[in-house]
Amino acid sequence: MTGYLELRDVAVSFNGFRAVDGLSLTVEKGELRCLIGPNGAGKTTALDLICGKVKPTHGSILLNGRPLDRLEEHEIARAGIGRKFQIPSVFKELTVPQNLEVAYCRKTGVFANLLRFARSVESDGLEKLAEMVGLEDCLDAPAGILSHGQTQWLEIALLLAQDPQVILMDEPTAGMTAHETRKTAELFKRLKGRHTLIVVEHDMSFIKEISDIISVMHQGRLLAEGTVQDIERNPEVREAYLGSGGITGA
Amino acid sequence: MVARIDSTSDRVPVLRRTWVQISIYGAVCLAIFLVPVVLDNDFLLNKYARYLVLGILAMALSLSWGYCGILNLGQALSFGLGSYCMAMALKLRTVPVHTGEGGLPDFMVWNNVQELPWFWAPFYSMPFALFAGIAVPVLLAVLLGWFVFRARITGVYVAIISLAALVVVNLLIIDQQRYTGGFNGITDLAQLEILGMEFDAYSSASYYLVATVLTVCLFAALAITKSKTGLIMQAIRDHEDRVRYFGYDVAHFKIFAFAASAAIAGIAGMLYTIVMEFASPTFLGVPLSLSVVIWCAVGGRQSLLGAMLGAILVTGMQGALSESETFLDTWMLVMGGVFVAVVLFLPKGLAGLVETIVEHLFGQGRAARAATGKPAAGKDVSGTGKKAEEAA
Repeated sequence: MTGYLELRDVAVSFNGFRAVDGLSLTVEKGELRCLIGPNGAGKTTALDLICGKVKPTHGSILLNGRPLDRLEEHEIARAGIGRKFQIPSVFKELTVPQNLEVAYCRKTGVFANLLRFARSVESDGLEKLAEMVGLEDCLDAPAGILSHGQTQWLEIALLLAQDPQVILMDEPTAGMTAHETRKTAELFKRLKGRHTLIVVEHDMSFIKEISDIISVMHQGRLLAEGTVQDIERNPEVREAYLGSGGITGA
Repeated sequence: MVARIDSTSDRVPVLRRTWVQISIYGAVCLAIFLVPVVLDNDFLLNKYARYLVLGILAMALSLSWGYCGILNLGQALSFGLGSYCMAMALKLRTVPVHTGEGGLPDFMVWNNVQELPWFWAPFYSMPFALFAGIAVPVLLAVLLGWFVFRARITGVYVAIISLAALVVVNLLIIDQQRYTGGFNGITDLAQLEILGMEFDAYSSASYYLVATVLTVCLFAALAITKSKTGLIMQAIRDHEDRVRYFGYDVAHFKIFAFAASAAIAGIAGMLYTIVMEFASPTFLGVPLSLSVVIWCAVGGRQSLLGAMLGAILVTGMQGALSESETFLDTWMLVMGGVFVAVVLFLPKGLAGLVETIVEHLFGQGRAARAATGKPAAGKDVSGTGKKAEEAA
């Protein structure tokens, strides 16, 4: 069976350390997949491999049957993959609407964009987006002065403006309040179906709320895959997390 | 419904800010055009035209450095190439003393060159020379940018490579004395004549030519920064890697910024030859190239107008100080002090200072802004205009 996004026996090593070692992962279109695992399991590296930040030394990555692993980052993005980084990455000297305008990337050429104003006709939609993530009061401010939580929201909004087929989220709720985390969960549930999501998270209550299937990584490999109940019962997963309380206590 | 009201109320200040900016730019250009009206001194006009040309050069660097984060220490390379293109065309229009009409340029005769080199021949055509003055720097910038930016070389390494490229071309020109005039450069040039108009270096005609080109270049560069490409350039300056993950080919945007900057610098170089009446390897010199960076830093590299006025201000001050008897020995020290002060206290240069003051005024007038909106804008325009006049 071939899925929408597929990692086949992917491996990468940094100076001999195999951060991801024979990872195989299949994600269906419209699915929301959570990726969990102890620190150093290779979750972020797995996302890096998909979005092209890191090139695999072995194996292949396919989106809808098209190999991604030899493409450059911008080509992978054009193929429909968007990424939110663990350390929120926004354009600090640009305002919130300017950030969104950059992310709104229907056309990517130099000259195609030269004849377009930096404020496009879609600005209304982009401002609604800013409102949706609660940044309507910070429209004039450079993104550099936003709080950590606001920066997280801005980067999520950037991904919504980009509107990619596949959204990779690396710890989206880090630094968020309980209320904001709930809001994020609602947003993700809405995105599911229209987009394919892969979410790396540590917050188990958040994962329980949003996920269909969880993939557990350990030492660069896929350790287990299944529903929340399956995963919680799995003795290998408990072993990997070293806690008697299971993943809920991690 | 609520969202629509919100978004329109936000758009007004952004558009207004653009208009305020355009009117400030326009006012400065107007002030520059008015200088010959109040000043009837061809010698001074020539001097001010020279400052304006250097202002264009600094503005070009602001486009690549301030807006795209490319610190080009070899900005004088584009400038010098443009300057030599114009000098070659004007040299071929001079009737040589020894060889007569249509003969070899004098320095080639002294160097025992028998016939005109192939790459000189097209410069008999002035349109070709004008084209080459832009195309040669642009092609070189694209070539250099292609290797540098596709290899994802960034930061200080770009600065070093661009500086090295400048030195290489500079040495090449000095070395090929037979074809380039070597250390002496290309001197004894004819006056530029376009559509029956003569541009004597010491005349208001040349000053107006420089002022016109400056205005066109300034607004063209402003248009680039206001386009989406300009926005993406700024995003690249902020966080290059992030831009890639939105599907933009960062190298293409950087090459564009580098080449656009080279084109403007090339145009400035051509004007410099007209104003100075010669071309010299010092136009591609390391000291000039590094000075451009300082002018940009003083004026504010993230403002095209700021960088331009910075260059005019600093070169003007240099000229005034080095000519005055009191500072004859110490003017370098004074200039050094000014640079240190600016770098320490005004990280965004003079433009940053003006911006802070403007925002202060805006902040006070925020309530009244929706109703009238005019007073704050009026104030900035006159303020900056005055500054420009002082500088010029």
